[in-house]
Amino acid sequence: MEKIIYAIIANKGNPPQVNEIAQNIRGITGSNLYALNFENISVAVSDIPASKFIVSKELALDFARVIEELSQQSTLLPIRFGTVVKSDEIIIQLITDNYTPFLNNLAKVENKHEFGMKVIWDYDKCSEKIRAKVESEEYTISSFSSKSTIHTNYLLEKVKKHRLEDALLKHVEQLIEEITWHLTQINPEGKFKKMLSKSIILDGVFLIEKTKKDEFIRAIEALKLLHDDLNFLITGPWPPYSFVEIAIDKD
Amino acid sequence: MSENKILLNSVPVDEVKEAIEKIENAVTSRINATPDNADHGLAQLVLTLIELIRKLVEKQAIRRVEGGSLSEEEIERLGETLMKLENKMEELKKIFNLTDEDLNLNLGPLGDLM
Repeated sequence: MEKIIYAIIANKGNPPQVNEIAQNIRGITGSNLYALNFENISVAVSDIPASKFIVSKELALDFARVIEELSQQSTLLPIRFGTVVKSDEIIIQLITDNYTPFLNNLAKVENKHEFGMKVIWDYDKCSEKIRAKVESEEYTISSFSSKSTIHTNYLLEKVKKHRLEDALLKHVEQLIEEITWHLTQINPEGKFKKMLSKSIILDGVFLIEKTKKDEFIRAIEALKLLHDDLNFLITGPWPPYSFVEIAIDKD
Repeated sequence: MSENKILLNSVPVDEVKEAIEKIENAVTSRINATPDNADHGLAQLVLTLIELIRKLVEKQAIRRVEGGSLSEEEIERLGETLMKLENKMEELKKIFNLTDEDLNLNLGPLGDLM
């Protein structure tokens, strides 16, 4: 019978406690969750016949539910959905080979939660403002050529579009600086993806101490007051999905 | 996403959902070749690569225009070439029934191709 791995858990020298937590949570497809222990690390796993493991959205959500329930009672590193191995021995070997990086990552996320932040704007409205600014620049694109043919105009339009994209990106970078400044007191670790789409200009994740959740929300509310044209969507708390940095030693 | 995970939201949930769905659709785009549609899959792959090269050429041209190193005649010729290339790509996309979204690939941790 194959094993599916859910999370690496800090057992803090008390493996029986993690065993108990695992036993009280149902694994995916109704399987029994249990913990494998090695020194100060435990791994939450359950049996799953390979034939039953058919990837679906429902199964992925159920997998996330298990990690969520575990994270409410422990410090953990979530494992990627679909990590299935042949035996418990392989898992113990995995922990043994990667013991120090696992411990270091667990220490990094101890007492912290992940929060998500999407910044959304009305693209047409906001880009129009930035477009007007770009077009008012002294060094206009018409200085590149005095010709007004269809081909020249085509290329100069491309230049204009390129400048607008550059200006939008600069605007988003300034916003990241501003957000970072507003969150200085909370001192989160943050990661950003810029211009995810026309409307989602920023997709950020933050690793924040559990006790600073309200402070974080207040800081974003204050930021919203300064930016009428932006909308903020804050989600969480999540297990630290985006802050685990381990290159697994597979040897 | 369960509602109890939303801590602050100043935008209608439907708008957020719509925006996220658009991204998900783009992210899940793959070259979908099977024995039944190998021609289409191959066309998608080839056109994706051509589009990538076309955009690189376009970026380089923009850089040269902005650098001020091109004469008016050169700008005219470059504009004509790029315009013809774009028109040809539009024709090919129509022939193979492909959209702009089809000509983008998710490269995992590297992000989108274009």
